[in-house]
Amino acid sequence: MLKIYPVLAAVGLLISIVSVIRKSSFFNFLGILILLFGLLKSAGLFIPPFPGQVITMYMAMSIFSFLIYFSIQEETFQAFLEPMRAVLGDEDKKILRVLIVFIALPLLTGFITYTKVVPVYEPPVSARIVHPEPPSQMEFRGKTINVIGLENPLRKDTANFAKNVEDGKKIYYQNCFYCHGDDLDGKGHLAQAYNPLPLPFRGGDTIAQLPESFVFWRVSKGWRGLPAGSGPWNSSMPSFEDFLTEEEVWKVSMFIYEATGNKPRT
Amino acid sequence: MTNIAAILLLIVSLLLPVSGYADDKHKPEEKKPIEASQGKTIYDSWCAQCHGYKGDADAYTKDVTLPLPRDFAFGVYKFRSSAPGEPPTDADLTRIIRKGNPGTSMPPWERFSDDEVKAIVQHVKTFAPDVFSSEAKSIKLDNPPKSTPESIAKGKELFNMAKCVECHGKEGRGDGEKGWQADFKTDWGYRVAPANYTQGWELRNGSDLVDIYRTISAGLAGTPMTSYLDSLKDDERWSLAHFIKSLQLTRKLGVALKVKKVESLPVGTDDAKWKDVEYLDLPIGGQLMFEPRNFTSVITNARVRGVYTPKEIAIMLEWTDKQPSKGADNIPQDSARIQFPVKLVDGAERPYFYMGSRKAPANLWQWKASDDNKVVELIAKGFDLVESKEKTDISAVGTYTDGLYRVVFKRALNTGQEGSPAFMVGKFIPFSVTLFDGNNAEDGNKSAISAWYFLMMEPPTPIKVYVMPPIAAILVFALGLVMANNTKKTRDQRKKKK
Repeated sequence: MLKIYPVLAAVGLLISIVSVIRKSSFFNFLGILILLFGLLKSAGLFIPPFPGQVITMYMAMSIFSFLIYFSIQEETFQAFLEPMRAVLGDEDKKILRVLIVFIALPLLTGFITYTKVVPVYEPPVSARIVHPEPPSQMEFRGKTINVIGLENPLRKDTANFAKNVEDGKKIYYQNCFYCHGDDLDGKGHLAQAYNPLPLPFRGGDTIAQLPESFVFWRVSKGWRGLPAGSGPWNSSMPSFEDFLTEEEVWKVSMFIYEATGNKPRT
Repeated sequence: MTNIAAILLLIVSLLLPVSGYADDKHKPEEKKPIEASQGKTIYDSWCAQCHGYKGDADAYTKDVTLPLPRDFAFGVYKFRSSAPGEPPTDADLTRIIRKGNPGTSMPPWERFSDDEVKAIVQHVKTFAPDVFSSEAKSIKLDNPPKSTPESIAKGKELFNMAKCVECHGKEGRGDGEKGWQADFKTDWGYRVAPANYTQGWELRNGSDLVDIYRTISAGLAGTPMTSYLDSLKDDERWSLAHFIKSLQLTRKLGVALKVKKVESLPVGTDDAKWKDVEYLDLPIGGQLMFEPRNFTSVITNARVRGVYTPKEIAIMLEWTDKQPSKGADNIPQDSARIQFPVKLVDGAERPYFYMGSRKAPANLWQWKASDDNKVVELIAKGFDLVESKEKTDISAVGTYTDGLYRVVFKRALNTGQEGSPAFMVGKFIPFSVTLFDGNNAEDGNKSAISAWYFLMMEPPTPIKVYVMPPIAAILVFALGLVMANNTKKTRDQRKKKK
């Protein structure tokens, strides 16, 4: 759909160029407006699209200023109005008159009025912070833990690294894979039932962006730990302190980093 | 002429060193052929969690998955294209890895390269070397005849004649009587359930026409689903596949259900009025947040419809269950709940989607299979604090027909009772659904749940929608008429002057 807008812009440009050559200021005006609209919409191909309201405002201002430009001199303004007058009054443009003035314009107005008066019902949408700021302190089964500066104690035990990761694998496949997926891609076999959908761990934009202390907090506290801005009422992420020990949470964290080839942010 | 030659020369001379340079430096890294021994490495990393390091399905997930992952040591494979008694082909094993088994914990593995999948297949075969000593051939699967109303009708006849109906049920929902006899088991002694054709998204062997044809033809080894390769002719099996394919539902997923205004509420679940009403399908999954967690839920979908009058609302829930349960020794009864927030507020905030919380309680309407359509209204302040209200104005009618539960709840839009939210026309009202399959031991918090959705009682279209557009069009038409007349006059006058 977006791809037709550059074409529209090109058509507008063509119309303006031809009309400048043929000295028809009315079509020049139309051409420039089409060009502008096409360009504003085409921007969506490269950057986040402009909101509809911004485009409407910009177009209104363009129409206004170009009308001023074309109406500064009486003569040019008369020339500008000529095509409209010709359609309205000329004997040889009868068919065009019926088509535009008596069919197209009334229908268009009717349609625009309809879109304005027909009620539209949209369910409420809530913005959600996916990675909220963790608190500086948290409780784990009643024990107070400082989240800031918290590190995975098992990472120091390099001798047992493989064993700890394997333990983490077992924990993952008994607690997490239903939602976060057999392949840690967020496409677990029960995932579809929940909203928001479970997060994938593959790729560089989830756990790779987070320090391990965040993962520990998020896994341990689950939905209960989320601030209001993250919609805790929708989250199906369990509070894993109910089911796992501290050490088990650290083990599963090691596994999800290891299995996806990601490294915790330090 | 010399100019052109010079330019050509320049272009050619530019090309030569460039391509030479590319050859030296950017030689694509030669992909090493994946050896079969690498199959074990990949298998241990990505298959052993369910199928076991020894291929015997004695693995991490054995208590938390249903159906159970395949035990490769037996060498018996359900999903094959080979003749009965033969091992699966390499293409069969590849297909299973690539496409997964819908409705089970076997996902489609798309991340691996073709060579890697090949290596995994070779490794899986080493668990049962005797079985794979001879190479199996696929039965003919191509050139399916076109599906026509006639072939579907013929398939329906065959469905009864070939006794498919005995296990899969009249409407193909897997509710046939034979499927629930005590001896309906796999060769390993596990209970199995006949497939429900209507929910294509959970058909283990795939839901495409060719998948269905393959299942009918080759059968599912080790299960009561036998091969019809010899008992039905080729075109008969295709017709049967056409019929079975025609039973699949199309899911309509979304976030909001439109509840239509009607003159009077439908009577019961069979009322024709329900057929004209839009529905919304809610994916359903096990409750995983609180003990006892439900890792092996079997209900995957709830279909919801709603209608309202100026005074009352009726909501129908529809879901499939292969064997109904009214409760017996150690078997809980089937049950359904629909949940709303006690307080309806504007904005995004809602009670916790499963049973609310102390601060934001939830209001639930509960129907149970054995309770003679008596509704219990619950106030939940969290999964661990649920009380039933003494008095309720909610009524319900539930039916079970051919594997399908349908329950219609009715309530006044505003009951005036504390704890029961008043429904306003035109507002988006959050709701969610909880279902229980008694035969799957679902009871209490071991349930199958949905996320929050919305229902919205559509206000009648305002009269201005029909009136304003024509008026605007007529006004513009009239204005055009006046302007055309005026312009004509002035132009005529100008001509006369000239």
